[in-house]
Amino acid sequence: MPIPILKLHNYLLVSIQTEIDDKTAIKFQENLLDKIYKTGASGVVIDLTSVEIIDSFIAKVLGDVVAMSDLMGAKVVLTGIQPAVAMTLIDLGIHMQNIPTALDLEQGLIKLHQELGE
Amino acid sequence: MNSKFEGIVLENSEKIVEMWLEEIGTLRKENRTESISIDLYESTNREFVDVIFTSIKSHGSTNAVEEFSEKIINLGWPLSYITDGLQVFRRVTIDFILRQSERVDTEYISNVLSSVDEWVEPIIRILVNDYSGNWEHIVSLQRVALQELSAPLIPVIDGITIMPLVGTVDTDRAKLIMESLLQGVITHNSEVVLIDITGVPVVDTMVAHHLIQAAEAVRLIGAKCILVGIRPEIAQTIVNLGINLTDFPTKSTLKKGFLTALEITNRKVVNVKSSENDIEKLIESIQGE
Repeated sequence: MPIPILKLHNYLLVSIQTEIDDKTAIKFQENLLDKIYKTGASGVVIDLTSVEIIDSFIAKVLGDVVAMSDLMGAKVVLTGIQPAVAMTLIDLGIHMQNIPTALDLEQGLIKLHQELGE
Repeated sequence: MNSKFEGIVLENSEKIVEMWLEEIGTLRKENRTESISIDLYESTNREFVDVIFTSIKSHGSTNAVEEFSEKIINLGWPLSYITDGLQVFRRVTIDFILRQSERVDTEYISNVLSSVDEWVEPIIRILVNDYSGNWEHIVSLQRVALQELSAPLIPVIDGITIMPLVGTVDTDRAKLIMESLLQGVITHNSEVVLIDITGVPVVDTMVAHHLIQAAEAVRLIGAKCILVGIRPEIAQTIVNLGINLTDFPTKSTLKKGFLTALEITNRKVVNVKSSENDIEKLIESIQGE
């Protein structure tokens, strides 16, 4: 099942509800970039509240998505990363240095709003 | 054989007790019981020796010993007093029995030794077990108390949470700190977390590493982490050790950190009433009169 990507004004909202395997992740990357191209969105919020496991590959894909979207002129914010997930990522040495994060969807939208200066 | 020795000992219990009291008196300096008053010391000695004789009479019934051990642990008598006392009792008793008997050969001596050991050993075992059990209990209680204190989290105002750390940080504690920090950020919905290390005596590479990891994790879940309470000597060690803390903001005091946190959350502290206005009003009212 592909991950749904919703449009809200000129933002895109993505809520990942299932455990993502490598294939879905790649598929999601392609879909999101397509959607950004089609809608001309200026900001993307990826909500990870229901995600309990993020391995190094998914982390890399997420990092790539952020960089790619940036190239296409859309800012990405990751929201709702769970404490356990954050600890595992840090333990694995994945710091996701350049990825903006926010506590929840609301904060994420506020952050996008601020960063885009709208 | 055993009952024969028992008979000798019980018949002459008065003499043995006297010898024992004399011996134990000389040991008083060594087993840290000098601070105890002489009356109490003597009455406890009496009770101790009574307990030993009751135990011998009742052939290993442990009730009296257990009662005595509970009492003496509660009073805080040193364990060395107990072990010394029993050691002395063994020596005195063996001495006494050997002196009472006319015919002494190797077999006889070994019989005496083993039967006296049979009396003394269960008592030692119970007392030492009780003592160490008591100590372990205390240690475990203190460990729980320490753990409760190790990672407190204070939500001061909406969006700002403070974690004051006191005492050394080791790997176990660092893990606890990280867990409680992240959980706290989620439950209190905090935008900024201040970690106050004023009370951490030493910040070495390990501690710094744990702090950096905690700060990174906090950033991942979408909040900001500010390290406050960096004392001059801590700043020196951090730089001398070549630890890179540039990735997350640091402040010297909690006060400054809190103001920065307010700035980040778009707030500031204002005086409700400015004193300058008050003075101006006062002057105006005087001029009006």
